[in-house]
Amino acid sequence: MVKLNVLNLEKSEYKGGKSSLCPGCGHDQISNVIIQAAWENGIKPEGIAKMSGIGCSSKTPAYFLAKSHGFNTVHGRMPSVTTGANMINKDLAFIAVSGDGDTASIGIGQFIHAIRRNLDMVYIIENNGVYGLTKGQYSATVEKGSKKKKGAVNEQPPIDLCAMAVNLGCSFVARSFSGSKKQLTALLRAAMSHRGMAIIDVISPCVTFSNNDESYRSYNYVKSNDEVLHIVDYIPHFSPLSEVEVPEGEFSDISLFDGSTLRLETVSDEHDPEDAVAALKAIHEAAKDGRHVTGLLYYNPGQLTATDTLGLTETPLMDLSDEELRPNIESLQKVNAGFRAR
Amino acid sequence: MSKIYNDFTVNVATANGTGSQSANLIILHSLFEMGVPVSGKNLFPSNISGLPTWFIIRASDKGYQAPGDSTDIQIMMNKDTWEKDLGALKPGTIVIYNEDTKLPVNREDCICLGMPMTSMARGISPKMARLMANMYYVGGIAHLLGIDSTALASAVEQQFRGKENAITMNLQAISEARAYASENWGDTCKFAAEAREKPEDTFLIEGNEAVALGCVYGGITMLSWYPITPSSSLAESIINWAPKLREGRDGGSTCAIVQAEDELAAAGMVLGAGWAGGRGMTCTSGPGISLMSEFIGLFYFAEVPGVIWDINRTGPSTGLPTRTQQGDLSMCYEASHGDTQHIVLIPGTVDECFEFGWRAFDFAERFQTIVFGFGDLDLGMNRWSTSGFEYPSEKLDRGKVIRTQEEMDAISDFGRYRDIDGDGIAYRTLPGSGLAPILYRGTGHDEDGVYSEDPQVYYEAMQRLKRKIDGARDILPAPVIREEESGDVGIIFYGSVENSIIEIDDLLEEKGMSVSTCRIRALPYHSDVEGFIERHDRVVVVEVNRDGQLYGILRKELPTHLIAKLFSVAYSDGLPPKAREYANRVADVLEH
Repeated sequence: MVKLNVLNLEKSEYKGGKSSLCPGCGHDQISNVIIQAAWENGIKPEGIAKMSGIGCSSKTPAYFLAKSHGFNTVHGRMPSVTTGANMINKDLAFIAVSGDGDTASIGIGQFIHAIRRNLDMVYIIENNGVYGLTKGQYSATVEKGSKKKKGAVNEQPPIDLCAMAVNLGCSFVARSFSGSKKQLTALLRAAMSHRGMAIIDVISPCVTFSNNDESYRSYNYVKSNDEVLHIVDYIPHFSPLSEVEVPEGEFSDISLFDGSTLRLETVSDEHDPEDAVAALKAIHEAAKDGRHVTGLLYYNPGQLTATDTLGLTETPLMDLSDEELRPNIESLQKVNAGFRAR
Repeated sequence: MSKIYNDFTVNVATANGTGSQSANLIILHSLFEMGVPVSGKNLFPSNISGLPTWFIIRASDKGYQAPGDSTDIQIMMNKDTWEKDLGALKPGTIVIYNEDTKLPVNREDCICLGMPMTSMARGISPKMARLMANMYYVGGIAHLLGIDSTALASAVEQQFRGKENAITMNLQAISEARAYASENWGDTCKFAAEAREKPEDTFLIEGNEAVALGCVYGGITMLSWYPITPSSSLAESIINWAPKLREGRDGGSTCAIVQAEDELAAAGMVLGAGWAGGRGMTCTSGPGISLMSEFIGLFYFAEVPGVIWDINRTGPSTGLPTRTQQGDLSMCYEASHGDTQHIVLIPGTVDECFEFGWRAFDFAERFQTIVFGFGDLDLGMNRWSTSGFEYPSEKLDRGKVIRTQEEMDAISDFGRYRDIDGDGIAYRTLPGSGLAPILYRGTGHDEDGVYSEDPQVYYEAMQRLKRKIDGARDILPAPVIREEESGDVGIIFYGSVENSIIEIDDLLEEKGMSVSTCRIRALPYHSDVEGFIERHDRVVVVEVNRDGQLYGILRKELPTHLIAKLFSVAYSDGLPPKAREYANRVADVLEH
C-alpha cells in the first residue's frame, strides 16, 4: 500500500526533477531529506517557496518539491529576495538552499542581515568547502591547511557559519552531515516547525573536488570525526507526545512553534541549547580537534520575526483589495488641503 | 525710486548647520504667500555642519524658475566664502551682510548694507544667537523688498509650527531687523515684491514628497531602501505618509518598510516582493543603481515587476553628492549586462512626480518588468508649485496574473513565458497559489520556464522581450509638445529642464529664433517624438550631462533619415540649469 502523510499525499507529490549534479553528491542526499521532511511534516507543497542563490547547491530546488514555486536568484543574494517575498506573503513556508560560496563569501552580508531580522525561513547551507560549479576553488569555510586533490594548500582560517549565527542571536542553529539521514531529517523537520530564522549547516562532500580522505568534508573524514552532540528525535504536533516511547537515558524536549517537539537524547555532557556560550564552546572545541560537532547547537525561541516588527495588517499583503491599496479620493483632498493650510 | 517688481534673484551665503535653511524658507514662503511667483534652490554641501551653503531665491512674474543669470541681492553670512562671494558680484548688487563678522566689505560699486546681526540676536537669546542671527537678514530683506508682514508672520508660523516660543522669538528678531533696516538703510533697493493674486489652491512641495505620495496612492506594499542623498527624503516621506494613509482594516499597516543593509539587498527585496505578488519599490541615486544592476537584469529576464526611483545626483563615482544632474539616463535605460531595455518614467513637475509615482506600479505589473522613475536633486529636493495632486484617473492595473484554477483553465497552452496574446506579455502565477509552479531563474529558460541552453529558445525569448518593451512605447506617458507654427527649430528635453525651458525659449526668441519644444516623459520614447522630429528641420536635444545621453539613445533608435537632424546641447556643472547658459549653447550649436 502507498504511504500517505497527514494531508493524504504520497511522497511523490513532494519530488522534483532529475538531478544534474555529480553522482554521489552530498547535495542530492540533502534534496531527498528535504522531500522526506516536507512530506512527513505534512506541509502543503503549494504553501512552500523554494529559494536559492547560485552554485551547485542552489541548482537543487529544481530537484525537489516540483509543486512549489521557487526562485533561483543571483549569487549570494537569496536572503534579500526571500525578505521581499516574506513581506508580501508571510504565510509562505520559505525553504532556502545555499552553499558555502554563496553564503560565506559573496552573500555573507545578506546572511548576517537575514539573521539579524530573524527572517522566518529555513536556511540550509550545503557546505563542502569548495566552489563546485567553477571547478573546485576553495571557499571561505574550508579548513586551514586543506589540500584538495589538486592545487595549493589553503592558508586562511575558515569562517564557521554556525558560530557566526550563534553570535548574531539566530533563533535556531544546527549542524549536520548529508550522510546522517536520520539526524538531518529530524533537524530539518524541527527547522520547518520553527518560526524565525532556522539555519542548518550541512556538511556535504563534494565527490568531484574534495572527497580525498584528508579533506575535512570528505565522506570518510566526516564519518570518523562527527562529534554528535545529542541524538535528535522529532515528534510532530499531530502525534501526541504521550504516545511516544520514553527513552531510557536522560533527555530534554524542545517545544517548537507549531506544537511539535524536538527530543534531544544526551550522549555526552549535557548541552543546554539555549546557552549561546555553550554552543560556541562546543563549536570551537570540536574545531580545535579537527572535528565537526553536529546536532541542535543553539535555540533562541520567542524572538520577533522580520514581519512581526513591522506591525503589518493580518491579511498577507498580496491579498489586499484595490480599495485597501489605494486610499480614497477624500483622503487625497485632505492631504492637498493640509498642504494648502501649512 | 522707481522699482522693478517681482523680477530679482537673491543669493544667501551661509554655512551648513547654522539654521539658515529655516530663514531661507521663510523668505521663500512669505513671497509665495504674497502671490509672487517664486522658486528656491538649495545648493548644499555633502556635510552636516560648517561647509558653505547657498540658497537662491528667484522671483519672476514670467514664471521663470531657473536660477537667475546673476545675483541682484546678496546676503553674506559666511566668513569662509566672504571674499569669493563678494568678488563675484556685478556692480550695483545690493549686499546685506552681518557686521559682526568684522570682515571688510570693499565693494564701493555695490550697495552694501550692514547689520550687527549676531549681537542683536544675543539680545533676544544669548544661547540661540548664532541661529537667530539668520532671522535678521530675513527682516532686512523684508524691509528692502517690502514683504508683507502678514505673509511673513504666516511663513514663520508654518516654519515653526506648534513651537510657540520659537515663533515669538523669531518674529521679534525679524521685527527688530526690519526697524533697524528702515532706520539705517533707507530706501536703497530698486527691487520690490508686489502682491499678486495668489491662486488659492497652490502650495509648494518637494518632488520627492510628491513621488512618495504617488507611491502611497499607487498601492505600494513594500518599500526597501538604503539611505543616499538625494533620495532619502523620498523614502522618509513614505515612512511619514504610509501610517496616515495606508492603515489596513485591523489597524495594521498595508505597506512593509524595510531599511536594507545595502542597495543590492534593497533591489533583491523589491524582486522578492514583485515575485510574490506585491508592489515593491526602492529609491536611490546613481551609485545605488550601479549596485543594483545585477538584480535589474534578473527583473528583466525573469520578468518580475518592480519599481526603482533614481533621484540623480552628479556622478561619476561619489561625484558631487549634493548637486544635480541628468547623468543616469542611459544607465537606467540599459542597466545590467547582456541585452536589456527598461521602462523609464521621467517627470518634469511635482504633479507628474505624483502621477508617475502611482503609474509606475501599473506599468511594472502590466509589463512584468522593472520600471524606473527618473528624478533628480533639483526636482526632488527643491520646492515647486502645484495646485494640488489629482486623484488617479485609472484603476490599479495588476497585469496578467492568474489567481484561480478557473482563470487557468480558460487559457489553453499556458506556459509562464508563452506569448499567448501576441503582445509579448505572458501570464504569470504567484507563489502560494499552487498554480503552475516553476522555479524562476536568471538562466536561460523556455516558454515553460524550464532551463534551456537551446540557441533558438534563447533567441526567441530575447526577441519577445524586445517586442514586449517596444509595445510599451505608446502606452507610456506621451511627450508634452509646445509647437510653433513656423518653427524650424525643435528642442527635445526631459525632466527638471522643464523648469528652465520657458526662459530658454524666450531667450532664443530674443535672438530671433522660433522654437518648438518636446518634453519626453518616458523611455522607450513615444512615436510622437519621431513625428516632432519629422516636422522640424533641426532638433536640439538639451540635457544636463556631459555626453548627451538622450541624444545617444535617440541616435541609436531613430530611423536613419532623422538622425542627421539632431544636435546635442549637453552641459553639466552640478548646478541646476541656468537658462541663458543653455540658450547660448543652443544658438551656438545651430550656428556651427
